[in-house]
Amino acid sequence: MSWITIVWSMNAAACLTLAALYLLVWCKQRENWVHLVFSSSAVAAAAIAGFELGMMHSETVGRYEALVRWIHVPVWVLIVSFVSFVRLYLHAGRPWLAWSICGLRTLVLILNFIFTPNLNFREITRLHQFSWWGGEVISVPIGVANPWGTLSSVSLLLLLVFFIDATITVWRRGDRRRALVVGCSMIFGAILAWHVPLVIWGLIEIPFFLCFAYSGIVAAMGYELSNDMAQAARLAGRLEASDKRLNLAADSADLGLWEWDIKCNEVWITDKGRSLFGFGASEKLDFDRFRSSLHPEDREPVLKVVQNSLRTGAEYQSEYRVVLPNGKMRWIAGRGHVEFNGNGQPVRMRGASLDITQRKQAELEAARQRNEMAHLSRVTMLGELSGSIAHELNLPLSAILSNAQAGQRVLANGHADLTELKEILNDIVSEDKRAGEVIRHLRLWLKKGEVHQRSLRINKVVQDVLKLIHSDLVNQKVTVNCELARNLPAVTGDPVQLQQVLVNLVVNACDAMADCNTPERRLLIRTETENGNGNGAVLVSVTDRGGSIPEAKMEQIFEPFFTTKAKGMGLGLSVCHTIIAAHRGKLWATNNADRGATFHFSLPIGGSDGEVVITNNAISS
Amino acid sequence: MTAPTPTVFVVDDYAPVRRSISRVLHATGFAVAAFASAEEFLAQYDPRTLGCLVLDVAMPALNGLELQDILAKAGSVLPIIFLTGTADIPKSVQAMKHGASDFLTKPVNDEDLLAAVRVAIEKNRSVRQQQTELSEIRARLATLTPREREVLEYVVTGKLNKQIAGDLGTVEQTVKVHRARVMQKMRVRSVAELVRLTQRCGISAR
Repeated sequence: MSWITIVWSMNAAACLTLAALYLLVWCKQRENWVHLVFSSSAVAAAAIAGFELGMMHSETVGRYEALVRWIHVPVWVLIVSFVSFVRLYLHAGRPWLAWSICGLRTLVLILNFIFTPNLNFREITRLHQFSWWGGEVISVPIGVANPWGTLSSVSLLLLLVFFIDATITVWRRGDRRRALVVGCSMIFGAILAWHVPLVIWGLIEIPFFLCFAYSGIVAAMGYELSNDMAQAARLAGRLEASDKRLNLAADSADLGLWEWDIKCNEVWITDKGRSLFGFGASEKLDFDRFRSSLHPEDREPVLKVVQNSLRTGAEYQSEYRVVLPNGKMRWIAGRGHVEFNGNGQPVRMRGASLDITQRKQAELEAARQRNEMAHLSRVTMLGELSGSIAHELNLPLSAILSNAQAGQRVLANGHADLTELKEILNDIVSEDKRAGEVIRHLRLWLKKGEVHQRSLRINKVVQDVLKLIHSDLVNQKVTVNCELARNLPAVTGDPVQLQQVLVNLVVNACDAMADCNTPERRLLIRTETENGNGNGAVLVSVTDRGGSIPEAKMEQIFEPFFTTKAKGMGLGLSVCHTIIAAHRGKLWATNNADRGATFHFSLPIGGSDGEVVITNNAISS
Repeated sequence: MTAPTPTVFVVDDYAPVRRSISRVLHATGFAVAAFASAEEFLAQYDPRTLGCLVLDVAMPALNGLELQDILAKAGSVLPIIFLTGTADIPKSVQAMKHGASDFLTKPVNDEDLLAAVRVAIEKNRSVRQQQTELSEIRARLATLTPREREVLEYVVTGKLNKQIAGDLGTVEQTVKVHRARVMQKMRVRSVAELVRLTQRCGISAR
């Protein structure tokens, strides 16, 4: 055994080793086809080395012919693999060239098996055996070349062009290292391969060493791929470090991080997150498990917000209660982001959750105190309005009594007029309903604690208020003009609290006009839309023709215990201010150009739709 | 001069109450005229009508008390029964001081309302009768000559013809003739009767 056998065998062995390694890599990362392509090219290069060694050691012409015939198979695999590698890995090379090369090579392969003995030779007349560069005795064919073998040369030429073109593209793209290493080795290999036709045409007398031309390319490819893997490993290291940093930050901020794989419906969550939601340490999680941890009242609203994010890609943001396994409640604020695939399908949602129980408790406590204050002020105001309200009740009661007694008399007269009786009964029914309505309003006004945020029309609030204090206005001889805009958008709020604000403003306005002449006691209530920043607002204003407010006191009037009235605690306007602020609106006053002042309040259109409604008994501790 | 059947005027701005009160009165046999405001009532009211007014106190624009004032200033004798939703003492005192016939709080019982209406109508009837008589006496007085009128004023003091003649600086016979004419024109037979008539139309004695 001389150096020739050793070198060719080593070449094959090296190629096979690389092929085995990358095949393993591909098995782990099936989506990375480049590894398979590389592996198959390495196998082919090894096979070519084996065939070449076999040809050099051939004793008979027949054996040589057979080997040349079969070497075309690994060559085909190799060339197709190279072309695929350039396309897949370098993202270069013209597609038509790639297809032509593969097509031509396939044609060569088919023709090779049609011709006898093979595509390259019409016939091999004899084998010339000699010792090459001090090595063992090797065989070189002497024979007549097959003119169809030119096809093989053409494919080699195309391959060279394809490689050069791809290398230029990669170079221009700025990826110089790849162009130099992979591109140049491919060009060099393709040039070296030209020794094959020269040997066949009998121009030179050397053994075929195609395997070296190609294994150079394979080595360059392998070098690039390993570079990528090394980089991936570095990235993985860095990723791990940043992951640790992120976890540290999240843990110290009490954040629970999570990720929801929507397709597989699997939820991954940090340990901190598990303890936030009360999940077991190794419990398998999905969306339904998350939902079941929520407070039953919050499940539907949260689901709606999630569905909205999945549909529109909007940032997920919600606040909800979680019922822990020990029965305690915890407030959580969740934020998240949905990722979509190329088809616009949501695939993943990532986010963070934060324990906001303390903040929520403080908010609820503030809301409770605010509502209590509002209630107290409302009850006081009802006391002041009691005469007016009694009158509002008296009117229908009076009509009912007189109608009923008129009915009795009509019947007693003996000639009952049925039409008249019917009208009497109709009046009784409608008046009874009216009285019931007054009582219902009273009950709502007196009821304590519960605040019902709902979608409402502000014009209805204005009309209800005017009904409630109608007789007060009549007694004070105040004329009310309403300019209520039609088709006003709905706002969200508590109807009773908003009525309270309006009653306060109207009563104040009437008080301000107490010293005016009767024809001057005019009140204007106006509703309109205001197009400010954001989504716009509904604006309500109450204009009187009384005295004006000193500019210096414009802000002060909304402070508690500020009053100009002989009797009165100075709480009305400050309570109104708090109520409107809790509705995310604004309350302010301006002086009119001629006389009197105007109080305005604005409420955001739509309001807090889609948010979890806060109720007073939301936290049990 | 007066209408034969009495009419009850109802003024209330709240339609259901106005209708129900009207029905009670109507079922009892009264003629009813209902109005939604004081202004509407003033525009259509005929002062010669016998009857009474059932009036709501609290109304926008002109309220009940203001209507009472206007009627009083116009010399109306129409009795007013006030209806009020709230038992407001200062208002009821004011109303009664200005001569209201009655002051009822809503809801009002039909018997109370009808009793008040009957009393008011009776009052109106007698006031109107007195007014008729008074105007008749005044018409008779108007037929007297100035001298006869002078003599009348002495006669009602109870003086004798001789004393009157002395006071007027004339003879007893002249005074006697004047007295006879006065008695005849005033259609009275005795001095006592003459005194009663003159007292009713406010003629003071000399």
